[in-house]
Amino acid sequence: MVDATKKRNRVFDYFIEEEQFAGGVAWCAGCPLELTARFVPKVLGKKMIFVGTPGCAAPVLHGQNIGAWHHLAYMASVMTGVPSKATGLSRYYHKTGQEATVVCFTGDGCATDVGFQPLSGAAERNERIIYIAYDNEGYMNTGNQRSSATPLGAATTTTPVGKIKRGKPTPAKNMPMVMLMHKPRYMATATLSHLEDFAKKLTKAKEAAKEGFVYLHVFAPCPVGWRIDSNRVIEVCRTAVRTNYFPLWEAENGKPRFTLEVASPKPVGEFTKLMRKFSHLDENGMKDLQRTVDERFALIKGLCEVYKE
Amino acid sequence: MVSAQKGQVRVITGNAVGAYGALLCRPEVVAAYPITPQSEIAEQIAQFVNNGELDAEYVEVEGENSAMNVVLGASVAGARVFTATSSYGLVFMYDALQETSGYRAPVVMVNANRETPGIHAVSSGQQDMVSTRDTGWVQIIVENDQEILDQIIMSYRLAEDNNILLPVMVNYDGFYLSYLAEAVEIPLIEDVDAFLAPLKKQTPRQKLVPGVNIGCGTHGIEMGYVEARYKHCQAMERVKPKVDEIDKAFGDYFGRYYGGQIEEYRTDDADIIILASGSATGTVRTVVDSKREKGIKVGLVKLRLFRPFPAERLIEALQGKKAIGVIDRSVGFGWKYGPICTELRALSREIGTAPILSYIDGLANLDITIPHIERVVDELDTAAKGKPYQEVTWIPMEE
Repeated sequence: MVDATKKRNRVFDYFIEEEQFAGGVAWCAGCPLELTARFVPKVLGKKMIFVGTPGCAAPVLHGQNIGAWHHLAYMASVMTGVPSKATGLSRYYHKTGQEATVVCFTGDGCATDVGFQPLSGAAERNERIIYIAYDNEGYMNTGNQRSSATPLGAATTTTPVGKIKRGKPTPAKNMPMVMLMHKPRYMATATLSHLEDFAKKLTKAKEAAKEGFVYLHVFAPCPVGWRIDSNRVIEVCRTAVRTNYFPLWEAENGKPRFTLEVASPKPVGEFTKLMRKFSHLDENGMKDLQRTVDERFALIKGLCEVYKE
Repeated sequence: MVSAQKGQVRVITGNAVGAYGALLCRPEVVAAYPITPQSEIAEQIAQFVNNGELDAEYVEVEGENSAMNVVLGASVAGARVFTATSSYGLVFMYDALQETSGYRAPVVMVNANRETPGIHAVSSGQQDMVSTRDTGWVQIIVENDQEILDQIIMSYRLAEDNNILLPVMVNYDGFYLSYLAEAVEIPLIEDVDAFLAPLKKQTPRQKLVPGVNIGCGTHGIEMGYVEARYKHCQAMERVKPKVDEIDKAFGDYFGRYYGGQIEEYRTDDADIIILASGSATGTVRTVVDSKREKGIKVGLVKLRLFRPFPAERLIEALQGKKAIGVIDRSVGFGWKYGPICTELRALSREIGTAPILSYIDGLANLDITIPHIERVVDELDTAAKGKPYQEVTWIPMEE
């Protein structure tokens, strides 16, 4: 259990539940989504319900013809209805005094594109649910198509590298910032390279969800779609943090603060060289990508300054 | 069962009746989104909740798709739920409607019928209902304000019956009934409790409980899917006698009978029959009476149950008749007949040799008038005598 007197808890200190998933589940080798899904219930406990969609998580979370590959309650949904179904569940459990942590668990495509309306609605209504968006920057389950979370210049199967157009022409929707503007009860970014940070945020999320809406944006690189060696995915997560490509921060009641500030961030090229989805970018392409990273970091840093106590 | 006490009679609109119908059944979670001509229901229920008259979670969702998903989630958790919509709101729920019936969630929804396709859609018509007929829902059409109230109560008895467990859509003509104030007897809530009490004696239905290893979803493929579909269709078949049974129980207790799947009016000795639904049936009844005075043996069959289609009752009512006219308040793209007429024609062999004439009328807020129905009766009379007739008539196009 978490010991508040200790300066730094180890990740295991946050675990209140045993492993809930079967071994040998149907995810790709090296997929951080598997580790994320296994990790979340250990911290949140057994009274959680997964509400999710068709996508990379579906076969394991909601069953593929047979049952799901875990011991938790779950409700499957099409991509347009996840936070709304969670709202219905959560409202009734709350009304009838049943303890429950209702967790929406979807990819970035559902969160930022087709399922955005109900997500925004549930956040605005301050529903008592936790929405975890695992961000693999595209529709990976259907074969690496672009979503609005796909970054500038990235090659996907619907933004392929061609003779006249090369990769995605627009930057990713800044989803953590969009959700911050909803002023949720609690929100955070997290990734698997920083597990204590992730665990701490999940613990806070569980408490905050008793009062209102929680949004967690989890960076989850796709080894297949991004073309990363399957044994280097955690390294990609860590490099994303160290280059400020994916800064780690949290916000309680809309007030952001960094949970980790990188002393001397590396250029984004250190991150992009670990995968092949950016390998076609020339010097200008890399400069443009670096600019979006810098602009986004400046924006969140500025907001953190505003709210500094 | 003894009779219910006399309720309070009030003159209120169809929408207000819809809200009272919900109130009397004590839903625990309500979600709704405003849309003309239904908005009054969403407003009135919010007022009930904020006044403390209804102890429900009220979710002011950001769209109809979410309204259906919220009540689905709550229903799966075990709640009694209610929502209301119309037109584009209904078709915006299209994916969620199919999930809801797939989950076998006993959701009760009121739909104020409104046109759907095209830009000039803010007008009455049953196209929304027809556009969602294959979503696996039970669809019932009512005629007047009192029937809206009574049918909502009966719908909970139907939806939550363990042998049924299907969502039920109560349809009434938008605009016509939405804004029409009529005298309505509002039963006492204790009597509605008593009428719905048999549901509580059932084995509690399966629910999604936190901490219990249970999941629900629509990811079954191959035989899992086939079995779910088969059971869904079997349940739809069981709806038909159940609707008649509940109608009788309701009538015995509250004193108002609606005929169950269909209502027959002066059909016994009739040679020709008009099959109609919704608010226009009142007009048809008037014309049946006046034409009877002139010696034409005409009767009315009011279609109450649209899904499942009441085949057996219709065959019984229409067998041996000499001509049948079907009035549709919607169109069937790809068939020249109206949608209800097309469905009836599937029973042609069982019904006999009577010509079946299709009439399209009352689209987009156009009134289905007494002269229109008189014309239908006259044409049916001609057809019944073996003379030539027109198979399909768009009445407003020929005026």
